[in-house]
Amino acid sequence: MAASPDIRAIPSSWTASDSGAAKEALDALETYKKKDPSKVVVRFRAIGNAPIMRQNFYKITASNRFQAVIQFLRKELGWKSGDPLYTYINMAFSPAPDDTVSNLFKSFSTDGHLIVNYSTTAAWG
Amino acid sequence: MSTYGARHAPSAFSTPASIALFRRLTWEGTVPLEIRVDGKELPANSNRGLECYFVQAPRVSYLPLLVPEVRQFLMDVVFDENGGRVVKEEEWWFEREDGGLVKWHWPIGLIYDTYTTSLAPAAAAAASPVPLKLVLHLASPPTDKLLLQPSADACKQAFMGQLKEADFLRWGSTKRMTGLRKQEQDGIWDGIKEHNFDTYWRIASKITPTPSPNAQGGRSPSPAPVPPSSASMVHTRPPSAEPGAGSDANRDAATSVRSVPVRIYLPDGPVLQDLVPPTLDDGAPHILGRFLHSHLPLLFPAPPGPSELAYAVVQGVLCPMDAEMAWLGACMAGADGWVSVCVGIGRFGG
Repeated sequence: MAASPDIRAIPSSWTASDSGAAKEALDALETYKKKDPSKVVVRFRAIGNAPIMRQNFYKITASNRFQAVIQFLRKELGWKSGDPLYTYINMAFSPAPDDTVSNLFKSFSTDGHLIVNYSTTAAWG
Repeated sequence: MSTYGARHAPSAFSTPASIALFRRLTWEGTVPLEIRVDGKELPANSNRGLECYFVQAPRVSYLPLLVPEVRQFLMDVVFDENGGRVVKEEEWWFEREDGGLVKWHWPIGLIYDTYTTSLAPAAAAAASPVPLKLVLHLASPPTDKLLLQPSADACKQAFMGQLKEADFLRWGSTKRMTGLRKQEQDGIWDGIKEHNFDTYWRIASKITPTPSPNAQGGRSPSPAPVPPSSASMVHTRPPSAEPGAGSDANRDAATSVRSVPVRIYLPDGPVLQDLVPPTLDDGAPHILGRFLHSHLPLLFPAPPGPSELAYAVVQGVLCPMDAEMAWLGACMAGADGWVSVCVGIGRFGG
């Protein structure tokens, strides 16, 4: 966990006369840092020999990282952390584990859900 | 209906030379790093006091790719003969000196720009480039937090993944990436590893939208081969318009993308990603000021002028609010295809 800087500290680039603007900017930043509590629909689709789950549509908290989705999927499949599991978006690419579900949804959702493909072997490298 | 016909200002794309110039400048950009090895982890008989490596690292490169030269330095100057045999590079990992894991899969330039725009007091003096201080640990990587092993191979996989994601965002498919031969895909990464502009762009020019009328993205040697799906690159022109024929068909390529791959980085905060169409519904080119206003209206309240509250940095440079998103995507993206807009509050550089 990073040592949190004191975010109320006004950057040294501002002078005392800017304190109104400084507060406004810092308040704005606080708003944007709030985690989005909404959920988005993720649709899991198996590729190749990967088992199909009983349920494929799940509501996932938008602010979650993709890493959390991978772990969730592992749990649902009952797979251990050493078992190979490859995940893709729209059968096209593997996102970075720290990409958020929210960002992926906004960029790549189709018909109101984000398609996450999963397989036991590397499919699209 | 042509947006170019309606515009009177000279297009940002009108000079191929400037495209090549900005691609070259982006490629050659470097940032100062100060890498200090954790003293507690030095092997016995090391030359203590010298275990600090200073490097002007390429923005488009990655920390795992610096490991070989850091290792060489440590072998030459710090370790004794045994020390070199004992250390295991697979266990090396980086941390910021003020605490916090470094996202090693981010390009070095991005790591640096998010540092200078962060609210940490040490970063505030970034008017003159201040080295980013990193601690290099030689053992016990926190594998649970690191998510991925910081090996050069994992780095390459992550990089290719980002290229594909960018490709998909632009065109709705990864045909251009998967259309490259394996040799060519490896070639892009070789260009990064060797930090060779020509090696990288020889292949990257096949997948990066080019605004140049002569289909070369500004490079003068051999023309870039036309990718097989070029006909689909130009959505708004009749099929008879051949790229490279000197028409303005290719000039539209960067503006024919579905979305420019862009991410916004807030100080110490979340990363935002969304669709960024090159042209807005009213036919105007999508410029940075409008983009930031639509996503962060509290920080960028009044387009298209600059904000009193915040600023945007791309590749370490203060970016003007009238910069076209499509142009940024074609000329100032990182080597992984992404335009990183780092937002800072206050005024750039004090």
